[in-house]
Amino acid sequence: MQTFQELILKLSEFWAREGCVLQQPLDLEVGAGTMHPDTFLRVLGPEPWRVAYVQPSRRPADGRYGDNPFRLGKHHQFQVILKPSPLDVQRLYIRSLEAIGLDLTKHDLRFEEDNWEAPTLGAWGVGWQVMLDGMEITQFTYFQQAGGLELKPISAEITYGLERLTMFLSLSQSIYEIEWVEGIPYGQVRKQEEYELSRYYFELADVTFLQSQFDGWEGEAKRCLEAGLVLPAYECALKCSHSFNVLDARGAVSVTERVGLMKRVRDLAVGCAKAYVESREKQGFPLLQGEAREALEVANAAG
Amino acid sequence: MPQGEYLLEVRSEEIPARMLEPGVKELASRVFEELMARGIGPREVETGFTPRRLVMILSGLPEREPDREEQVMGPPVRAAFAADGAPTPALLGFAKRTGLEPDQLARVKTDKGEYLAATRKIEGRPTREVLGEIVPRVLGGISWAKTMRWGSGEGPWVRPVHGIVSLLDGEVVPFGLFGIAAGDETEGHPTLSPQPFRVADADDYRRRLAERHVEVRPAERRRVLHETMRQRAEALGGTLVEDPALLDKLTAICEIPGVMEGRFGDAFLELPAEVLSTSLRDHQSALTVAAPNGNGDLLPYFLTVMDRPDDPVGRARSGNEWVVAARLADARFFHGEDRKAGLGHRAEQLSRLAFHERLGSYAAKTERLVALSAFLCDQLGWGAEKPKAAEAARLLKVDLATEMVKEFTSLQGIVGGIYAREEGHPEEVWQAVYDQYLPASADDSIPRGRVGQVTGLADRMDTMVGMFGLGLIPTGSKDPFGLRRAAQGAVRIALEGGLPLDFEAVAAEAARLYGDKLTRSAEKILDDLRPFLYDRIRYILGLEGFAYDEIEAGLAVGVSNLPDLRARVDALHKVREEAAFLSVVLAAKRIANIVKDAAEQPLDESLFAEPAEKDLAAAFEGLRAEVEEAAAAGDYERCLRRIADLAPVLDRFFVEVLVMAEDENVRRNRISLLQAIGRTASRTAKLSEVVVDKAEARAKAG
Repeated sequence: MQTFQELILKLSEFWAREGCVLQQPLDLEVGAGTMHPDTFLRVLGPEPWRVAYVQPSRRPADGRYGDNPFRLGKHHQFQVILKPSPLDVQRLYIRSLEAIGLDLTKHDLRFEEDNWEAPTLGAWGVGWQVMLDGMEITQFTYFQQAGGLELKPISAEITYGLERLTMFLSLSQSIYEIEWVEGIPYGQVRKQEEYELSRYYFELADVTFLQSQFDGWEGEAKRCLEAGLVLPAYECALKCSHSFNVLDARGAVSVTERVGLMKRVRDLAVGCAKAYVESREKQGFPLLQGEAREALEVANAAG
Repeated sequence: MPQGEYLLEVRSEEIPARMLEPGVKELASRVFEELMARGIGPREVETGFTPRRLVMILSGLPEREPDREEQVMGPPVRAAFAADGAPTPALLGFAKRTGLEPDQLARVKTDKGEYLAATRKIEGRPTREVLGEIVPRVLGGISWAKTMRWGSGEGPWVRPVHGIVSLLDGEVVPFGLFGIAAGDETEGHPTLSPQPFRVADADDYRRRLAERHVEVRPAERRRVLHETMRQRAEALGGTLVEDPALLDKLTAICEIPGVMEGRFGDAFLELPAEVLSTSLRDHQSALTVAAPNGNGDLLPYFLTVMDRPDDPVGRARSGNEWVVAARLADARFFHGEDRKAGLGHRAEQLSRLAFHERLGSYAAKTERLVALSAFLCDQLGWGAEKPKAAEAARLLKVDLATEMVKEFTSLQGIVGGIYAREEGHPEEVWQAVYDQYLPASADDSIPRGRVGQVTGLADRMDTMVGMFGLGLIPTGSKDPFGLRRAAQGAVRIALEGGLPLDFEAVAAEAARLYGDKLTRSAEKILDDLRPFLYDRIRYILGLEGFAYDEIEAGLAVGVSNLPDLRARVDALHKVREEAAFLSVVLAAKRIANIVKDAAEQPLDESLFAEPAEKDLAAAFEGLRAEVEEAAAAGDYERCLRRIADLAPVLDRFFVEVLVMAEDENVRRNRISLLQAIGRTASRTAKLSEVVVDKAEARAKAG
């Protein structure tokens, strides 16, 4: 039986061999691995990039006090970005499944259309949900736009839901029964946290305080952008986004307010995206290599 | 080797199921058209697809385009020769360009005068060359519903392209697409037979793919899936619950038509069958198996596709069963929560559920529906149904607040109906809730009973009037509130239920019930709603087989209620071919031209001068009462036939009488007579709208 952490180790090892920067989780609350700056910002602009990391992902409204065997308020994603997307990216993905111990000649693997959109990030992509034996195990997306900007080159994003994948591999009846490491079930590591976070997000979180947090971090993000500090600005935008999610779980966001708050987060994300590309350009797009580097230098010399 | 056979296979990453068939059809028809235009159309076109392949096989292609002659225009004759008849430089230049002697040039007459022209022979190009040019252009131009880019910006296309087989009689027709060169190599199934292999021609291609279990003909995959599923269902002691749309989807998500059979726990059979089959369909793309008792009960099995021929270690089955168990556990949880709360409790939550931000909550909508349903019952004289209609209207939208509908939105209405049944509401009431979204498509029937028809109609009228009242009128393809479908449903309920309702009165009442919520007056709403409903009426009566002009003639005199409109159009449809009626229609057209905008005045018999007009007036007077009476009784065929009796006197009138008499009073009186006739005829339809075949009219006139 595969443990939760074996899965993390094997995926990390596989993607590290493919030349990915083995990054660490972002130390802020985010809803998905996509919001990590090493995805959201790095997919912008012309520079190539390969990265893999685990990202604890918080969706306060999905919390179930640790009662529901399939749903979590905080789950773990294994996130991979390949930029530009190589032509054999599907084959690489299939090999990653073999690397975690699956013999695909004995399973049913299908790619079913599932496009992705994140309005608060001004981002969308085209892709599939990957179905293994009828179970969704991965989101596979070709990013087309992020922060309102058209992307070129295109990044492929592979997101494995780690809890689900471990459950499926062992056909466990509950997330809390999967083993984090041999002898220690997931429930022992995280169940109390799920319970307490659910209580906080659904019952205790102070709405007035959260609203002021949202306003405050929005102001900070704008100040950072004015000062030309893109990375802190983006972190502030993420804090806004999280405040919004908690307010939402708390039932404190009406339908009309929702549209307004989402637009405010989106505006920050779009502002950060634009500023990030400008900042990388000022630095001469340091990760550009080969022909693209030469083309850039020729253009600079001419300009 | 077959002559003139072209095999094209484009391999890509998985193309969305919904786009495959339209994509391959567009590819084949555009290539076919382009080849036909060049005189090298194939004898046969075969297409196929799997999620990873588009396939087109053309056979019986000619070897090359036919040679053809092309006329090249030269200078005008007057500029070609000097005064002395000698060739000008313009002529000599043209001759040189076309490689002909001056005396080999022809003279061609055109609108602009006479020109010199050369006939040039153009040799047809080899089909191979033409294919190499057309195919990549057509492939690149397929209008996919959604496209993407990949890699360093390749595309746009539906998904990244991986390989192309392009063979004419066994030889590669070279071209490139997004950096991929066409060749003769393909691959089998990505996990079961991923090794590349070469193919020689279409037969070889089919054989080698078949060895790898890949079936590129969707019809064949569908047949195998369907047949296997039916056999499995039978072997399980039941029958397959047919779902053609789902079967189409399953066909489009596999290369190998393997059937996956799974079982779920008997305990889940406590869930309503509608919930079970929706959960299995929406979440697992699975079909269900009906129990042999014929009550709509299900057996605890499901059938779906797997993209492989077998399940060697049973993981496909255990995986699918694992997911289904989790999903059904969710559904059972929702069902339990809903039953605990009861519909009464959910009704309280409707005040927090917005119908539309400017039109208020579903609680407010419910109050309007109760009142509007009562109004409809009154209009129809359905006193007995009134209390049940109120009860149904109160329950109609409650299921929107249930956990089950939040999870399975496609079950709205059905879930409310099931819960109302479980809570012991009368049959007409729970059926009204259950059927409220019928008809959702052309194949659906309307709600089963009177209560369902009244509440279904009230719901749609309320929605249409509300949105129109805010100026939210559908334009082009934009119809976010589904108002066209609502209108279509309303029209069909009134027509098929035979409800003699005055739509305008209903709309006015619906507007009144909104109080001050609407930004536009009832009159303004009706001005927009009338043509909107008329469009649906045209469409639906057209589907019933009535001709366009029959419907227009019926609509042109206004609509008091829809069953009456249909009776009038139907009468017109039945009598229009009769000879006397044709005369009347022709006369009606003349009358319409003559009377146009003239104000009608009372007839003055003393002003009739000619015998023909006296006869017409007398004949008309003789049948007027009967026509009115027949119209009042709804016997429109008799109306039209009686009017047609006027044909001989009308014909004579137009021959012998000059309507536009010098004397103004005489003229006005004649026009008034014609107007009176026209008005009586239009108790049924505006006869001048009926289109008369010209040949028929001439034959009649002759």
